Amino acid sequence: MTQARTIGAALPRKEDFRFVTGQGRYLDDIAIPNCLHAHFVRSPHAHARIVAIDCEAARAAEGVVAVVTGRELAEWTTPLRMAPPIEGLQPTEFPTLPFDKVRFVGDPVACIVAIDRYLAEDAAELIEVAYEALEPVVDLERALARDAPLVDDNLSSNLVAHQSFSAGDPGRRFAEAEIVVTAEFRQPRQTHAPIETRGCCALWDGGRRHLTMHVGNQVPHPFRTQLARRLRLTESQVTVICPDIGGAFGQKIALYREELTVAALARQLGRPVRWREDRAENLIAASHAREDVARTRAAVDGDGRILALELEIAEDFGAYCFYPANYLARVVGMILTGPYRINDYAFDIKVALTNKCGNGPMRAPMAITSWVMEGTIEAIARRLGRDPIEVRRLNMLQAADLPFTMPSGLVVEDVTPRETMEAALRIFDVAAFRERQARDRTHGIHRGFGLCCVVESTTYGSAFYKAAGIPGSGHESGWVKIEPSGAVNASVGLMASGQGYETTFAQVVAEPLGVDPANVQIHLGNTDTAPYGMGSRGARGGTAGGSVLLLAAQALRDKVLIIAAALLGLNSSGELRLRGGRVERRLGGEWHAAGPSLADIAHIAYLDPLRLPPGLEPGLEAHRAYDPPPITFSNATHLCEVRLDVATGHVAVERYLVVEDCGTVYNPAIVRGQQQGAIAMGISGVLLEEVIYDETGQNRSGSFADYLLATAVEIPPIEVVSQHTPSRHTPTGSKGMSEGGVMGAIGALPSAVNDALAPFGVIVERQPLSPMYLRELLRGPGREKNCLD
Amino acid sequence: MTGSDPIPVTLTVNGRTYRVFAEPRRLLSDVLREDCCLTGTHVGCEHGVCGACTILFDGAPARACLLYAVQAQGHAITTIEAFAANGELSVVQQALHEEHGLQCGFCTPGIVVTMEAWLDRHPDPTEAEIREALSGNLCRCTGYHNIVAAVMKAAARRRTEVVR
Amino acid sequence: MKPARFSYEAPTSLDAALKSLATWRGDAKIIAGGQSLAPMLNMRLARPDHLIDINGLADLGRVAVDDDNRLSIGALVRHHQLGHHELVAQHCPMFAHAAETIGHYAIRQRGTIGGSLAHADPAAQLPLAALTLDAELELRTATARRTVMADAFFVSIFTTAIEPDELLVAVRLPRRKPREGWGFRLFNRRAGDFSIVSVAATVARGEGAAIERLRLAIGGIGPVPVRAEHLVPAELVTALTEDWPARVAAAVAATVEIEDNERTPVVFRRELVESLTRDALDEALERAR
Repeated sequence: MTQARTIGAALPRKEDFRFVTGQGRYLDDIAIPNCLHAHFVRSPHAHARIVAIDCEAARAAEGVVAVVTGRELAEWTTPLRMAPPIEGLQPTEFPTLPFDKVRFVGDPVACIVAIDRYLAEDAAELIEVAYEALEPVVDLERALARDAPLVDDNLSSNLVAHQSFSAGDPGRRFAEAEIVVTAEFRQPRQTHAPIETRGCCALWDGGRRHLTMHVGNQVPHPFRTQLARRLRLTESQVTVICPDIGGAFGQKIALYREELTVAALARQLGRPVRWREDRAENLIAASHAREDVARTRAAVDGDGRILALELEIAEDFGAYCFYPANYLARVVGMILTGPYRINDYAFDIKVALTNKCGNGPMRAPMAITSWVMEGTIEAIARRLGRDPIEVRRLNMLQAADLPFTMPSGLVVEDVTPRETMEAALRIFDVAAFRERQARDRTHGIHRGFGLCCVVESTTYGSAFYKAAGIPGSGHESGWVKIEPSGAVNASVGLMASGQGYETTFAQVVAEPLGVDPANVQIHLGNTDTAPYGMGSRGARGGTAGGSVLLLAAQALRDKVLIIAAALLGLNSSGELRLRGGRVERRLGGEWHAAGPSLADIAHIAYLDPLRLPPGLEPGLEAHRAYDPPPITFSNATHLCEVRLDVATGHVAVERYLVVEDCGTVYNPAIVRGQQQGAIAMGISGVLLEEVIYDETGQNRSGSFADYLLATAVEIPPIEVVSQHTPSRHTPTGSKGMSEGGVMGAIGALPSAVNDALAPFGVIVERQPLSPMYLRELLRGPGREKNCLD
Repeated sequence: MTGSDPIPVTLTVNGRTYRVFAEPRRLLSDVLREDCCLTGTHVGCEHGVCGACTILFDGAPARACLLYAVQAQGHAITTIEAFAANGELSVVQQALHEEHGLQCGFCTPGIVVTMEAWLDRHPDPTEAEIREALSGNLCRCTGYHNIVAAVMKAAARRRTEVVR
Repeated sequence: MKPARFSYEAPTSLDAALKSLATWRGDAKIIAGGQSLAPMLNMRLARPDHLIDINGLADLGRVAVDDDNRLSIGALVRHHQLGHHELVAQHCPMFAHAAETIGHYAIRQRGTIGGSLAHADPAAQLPLAALTLDAELELRTATARRTVMADAFFVSIFTTAIEPDELLVAVRLPRRKPREGWGFRLFNRRAGDFSIVSVAATVARGEGAAIERLRLAIGGIGPVPVRAEHLVPAELVTALTEDWPARVAAAVAATVEIEDNERTPVVFRRELVESLTRDALDEALERAR
C-alpha cells in the first residue's frame, strides 16, 4: 500500500521487530571465533607519576596472552594531537596510554588480554604499579590559580582555552544603562550513561593486511580516518562496522584510547581482540560533560529591554582533550542571545584542565544556554518587579525581525519563538495555574510554573566550522540504488543509536520514487559500503542525512522518468510521476497508470541497457553530497509545573508541555519521541545527575547507586505539540531538533522551582536541584531550621 | 563441596535444556548470552540497578546479573526469546511497537520480560502503578512516556483477549 | 565487573548448611536473594572463598503464628511475599508496608528478610522495622540455637551479632496490639532508592488521651537504626496533647545524635527526622483509632 506522501507519516518503525524480540545485534551479540578479551588496569590516583609497572605476575597468570603498557603502545600507535588553529586554544598531545603520569582516577595504564574477562580481571589484580602521588587539581578555581599543579606538563598553565568576543558596543551600553542585572548559573559534572557501555572488537587480517573494527560509533567514517592514522595504516586498510548501538548521546564519537589499544593489540597478536567497558569504567573513565559556571550581566532600561549582554563562562574540562577544549563553551557563547533582539554583546570563555575524566559533547553540549538566557530574563523581571513573560515579549524576535543576524554573526531565520511561546501559554492556562497556586499555598502546598524558550542550533554546515576556525566539514553523503528487481537500497554516512533512521530515511527516499517505505532498505554504519559522511551528532541526522537522501532519490527519480518518457515515446518526462511502484502520466489534468513499472525500468537499466535513451548510463544509482547552511535553528517553548515539598526540598514534576517547531517532520512519532527523550534526560540532569569528585580527586559516582538516573516515576508524562515552519534553506525544509529538549528542561525546571520559591525570597543558581540544596536555600544562612511549613 | 573450577550446569531456559560447563562465579547473564547463545538478555550494569538483564526465574522477574548460573539449576528460566511465539509479537511487544515505546532497544527486552510478568498479576493498572512497576528498568532514550502508553494499551488488550 | 573465584554449594537441609558453615566459618558467605551480596561480589568488594546457597531450604520460607503467639517469619521469606502475606498484613502491617518500599518489583521477588537483616545496611527498611517492633532474631549453629533481640543484633554498619558459624533462620515479632497504630515514613530522592532518613513508630492508645506504649526508631542517621523513645519528654510519652506529633518530632529532632556524612549534611537529615517523625506519628495515631 502506498501513500502519496510518505514524508510526514507517523509510521511505526521498521527496525522494531528485532529490538522487541531481543534479536538486535549489539556489539557483544556478535560471536567472533578465537577472540581474546581485553581489560584495562586503571589508576586509583587522581594525579601521580608512574614510577614502574610490573606486569610479570600478570603475564604468567592463567589464560593471559599479553599485557601491554603505554610504552609498547607508543611504538604501535601515534599520539593524539589536538591542535586546531584556533586563537586562544592551547594545543595538546597525549599518547595512547600514559607512561609518565596519570591524570585522573580511572586513567588506563595497562591492558591485559586474556581468554575471558573473568581471567583478565583476576590478572589485573596481579599488576603492580608504583605511583608517586602528586597534588591533584579538583576544581576550576584551583585549576586557574597561579600556583596550581599542571594537569598537562606540556602546557604553560591549566587554562587550555581562553577566548573573548565582542560585537556592537556593550561597554558603552553598560556605561549608559540605568540598571545592570547580574545572574549566575552552575551546572554540575554529568555523564552520558547510555545503557550500553562502550566496547569494540578488532580483527586483523594478516594476509590482506586489513583491520576490521566492530564498534558502536556515531561517526563511522571520521572514526575510520582517525583509527587508520593513529595506527599508521592507510584508510583503505581499515573497515569500521557499526552494529546496533544501545544509546550514544555523544559519548560514542571520539576514537578512545581503549579502542585504539584494542585495535593495535589485534594487529600485534594476530588474533581478534574485544573489549567491553563495565559500568564502573563507563561512569568514571569514558567521557564526562558540562561542569560549567556562567555569569551574565545585562544592561536594561526601565521597561526591561535588554540593551547589552555580557557572558562569562568557565568550564572544567577534565584532564584530556579528545575534542578542542573550547568548542562546547564556544557554541554557548555564540547562540546565547537565542530568541532575543540583542546587538551589543560580549562573551569571555575560559576552559581549564583538571584531574578528572575528560569532557566531550553530551546531548546538547550547549545545554546551559537556555537556562542562562531565560534565567537572565527572569532576573531582570525580578529586579524590575515585572512579569517575566512580558519581559520576554518585549525582547523577543518577531517574524518581522527575521532573518536576524545574531551579534555572533549567526543568522536566525524561519523560527517562531514568539508563536510557540504564546501557544504554549494558552495551552497551559497560566491564569488557572496561578489560582491553583495561590489556593494551595494557603494549605502549605507549593507549586511553581516554569518557562523556557529555546532556540536550538543544529546541523552545522562547513561554513560554520570555517568561521569558527574548527577544521572539518559539515557535509553529508548519501546514495540510493534501485536494484534490477525494483528493490530500493539507500545509505548515508550517519549511524543510528535509536533515532529510527531505518524508518524515516526510508520514508524520505520512498516519496520521490513513489514506493512503499517498507520496500526501501537503509544501510548504515559499514565504512566499505556507506558513503563518507560526518556522522550523527549535533542534531544533524534528519536535516543533513534526510536532505542528501532526498537529493539522491530525486536524481534517481529524474533518471527513471527520462527512461520512462523514452519508453513511452514522449519528448519529455514533465507529465510523468512515480506512484505505487509504477509510472503515471497526467492526461487532461488527471493522473493515469502509464505502463512501465519501476521494476520494469530497473530491469531495462541494468540488463537491457541498449534500450536506454542515448547518453544515459546503465544502472540506477545516484550518489550525492550535501553541505547544509552554516547553522539551522529550530525552536521550542517548554513549560512545566512542579510541586516543591518545602519540608524536604523534594521536587516533583507534575506537568510538562513543549510546543516545538522543527520545520518539516519526516515522522511525527519519532520527533515526539526525540523530544520526550531529550526532555527526560534534561529533567534527570536537573534533579539527580552529578558526578562527584572528592577533595583528593576520587570519583564518588562509580555505580548506578551513586550516579542517579531518573526512572519512570520521576519523569512525568510529556505533552508535545508541534508547529511546522519549514526552513527555506534545506531541501526537505527540516531542521534538527533532538537536543533542544535537554536545553528546555534544564531551563524550565529551575524557572518553575524559582516560581515555587518566590514567597521565600530565594532563587536557585546551581544544579542539581537536590533536596539538600533546596533546603539549604530555604533554611537561609546561619539558621538551623526554617521554612518547615 | 566443589571447588571454584568449572562444573557441569544444567539449565532449563524457555523450556529447553542446556548443558553447559561453568565456574560457580559465572553470572547467569553471561552464561545465557555466551553458552546458551541467547543474546536478547542485555547487560547494562552488573549490579542490579538498570534492569536490562531482567529474566524470569520460576516466573518471577529477576536480575540475571545478580544470579550465578549454578543457582539456576532446577529452576525455570524465561528470557525475552520466549515471548514472540512463531514470529508473532506478544501483546506487550506489539504495543511497544505501535506506541513507539523503544528507540535504541537496549533496555527493551528487560522491560518486556518485567511487564509481561507484572501484567499477569496486575491486569488493570493505573498509570501511577505502571510507572512504579517500570521504575526498576532504566531507559535513557524514550523518557518513558511511550512505554507507559504501551503498557496501558497492552493491559487493555490482554483484558479483552478471550484466550491467551 | 566479574567476581573473584569462589566454590559453591547448595545444601538441601538446614543441618547440611550449618555443618558447612561450621567448617568454612568466615571464609564463606551465605547467599539468599543475592540482591545485596551479588553486587558486592561482582565488584569484588566481597571475596568469600565459598558461597553457601540457602535458597533450597524451603522450611525457612514460611510465615506462621508460633506457639508464643508471635508472628514467625522464616529468613528466606521474600520481600514480595512479606508485602502480600495475609498473616503479616494482619499482625505486623508495618513490616508488610516496609517490605513493599524496598527497591523495585524484580528486587522484591528475590530479596529476603534474612538477607536484609544480616546485611544490616544502615539505610535499610527491614532492620529499622525489626528494631521498632522488638523483633527477636533466631540464630542457629550446627549444635546450638540462640535468640538475639533486635537492639542487640545490629552492631554497626554492615555488622551484626551473627557469629561466623551462625545462620539467621527466623525473625519473630510480637503481634500488633488492639488500638495500636503504626507509621513508617522514609525519604529518598528516587523511587526505590535506599532512604536518606527513615522513621518507624507505633502508638498504642489507652483510655482517653493516654498512651499505653510509644515505640519510635530512626534509620539513616548513624551506622545502625536507633531507638528514640528516650528522647521524648516524659509527659509526651504517656499522654497525647495538642499537636502531639509535631511536639514529639521537634523534641526528638533537636536532641538525636546524627553522624556526619559527606553526601547529606547533618542539618538536612535533622530536618528530615523532624518532618518524617511528625508524619509517622500522624499516621500511627490515624491507625490507632
